[in-house]
Amino acid sequence: MPGRLSRRSIARYIANGLIEGTHSKKILLKQLAGYLVETRRTKELELIVRDIEFALVEKGMVQASVISAFDLTAETKKALVAFVKTKMSAAQVNVSHIIHPNVIGGVKITVPGRELDQTIARRLTVLKTRFKKA
Amino acid sequence: MQNVTQFAADNNIFSSLGIDWKALVLQIIAFLILVFILGKWVYPWLMKSVDERQAGIEAAAKATAEAEKAAEANKEAVAALLAEARKEANEIIGTAKLESANMISSSEQKAQKAAERIAKDAHEQLEKDVENARKMLYNDTLELVGLATEKIIEKKLDKKTDSELITAVVKTTGVVK
Repeated sequence: MPGRLSRRSIARYIANGLIEGTHSKKILLKQLAGYLVETRRTKELELIVRDIEFALVEKGMVQASVISAFDLTAETKKALVAFVKTKMSAAQVNVSHIIHPNVIGGVKITVPGRELDQTIARRLTVLKTRFKKA
Repeated sequence: MQNVTQFAADNNIFSSLGIDWKALVLQIIAFLILVFILGKWVYPWLMKSVDERQAGIEAAAKATAEAEKAAEANKEAVAALLAEARKEANEIIGTAKLESANMISSSEQKAQKAAERIAKDAHEQLEKDVENARKMLYNDTLELVGLATEKIIEKKLDKKTDSELITAVVKTTGVVK
């Protein structure tokens, strides 16, 4: 049975592997999955993924999640990437886009440790809650 | 002798009158004996009884007089007691009237205060209810406005407008939270 590694060490190993390209993504993920199963730490998966994201940010690679009501045009995507790069001082930005009609309009950008919610649904919720009298 | 003669002469008179002087003498003697016996034994006892009875009657009369006197005195005492009792009763009635008046006055004041408090509470509760109703109306209006805005924007917003909106957001937002 392999020795127990800290989450930070695991995250750093995976992040380095992804950036340096020593192993393919598939192999890295298999290694991670195998290690977690072997050490019975599969419940920590979400935390480890978050740590990997943070480790990637430290290396200048940002994983951004974008939610919008409609599909984004190429220009908009470009603008978003530039925006994230500027704000996060990142060299590389990977955007995962999710279409969610419930947000009505606008965009919600989530990066490790930060979130920008400029959706219409959010604004309406703020309108309804902030000005509501108790 | 002369006396005897005289007696004889008289005896003759008695005889002529039909009186037996011997029987007369005996009767006189018997009478005297009777008088002696009555005077010796019967009269003293009789007189004693009479005296005792008289003394009893006098004592009874005296007791009656004393009783009447006592009754008179009692009558005055009773009258005095009645007067005293009447006076005390009047005082008690007066005090009771005063106390009852005070109690009524106090009760009226308490009732008035209670009524004022109830009215004040009701007024406050009414104000609270009105305020709550206003808040509810305001919140409901806010919800309705939100819903209406949502529906309108859903219909009006298209891909192009949304892209413009996102671009504007990216340009204007200076802070990433």
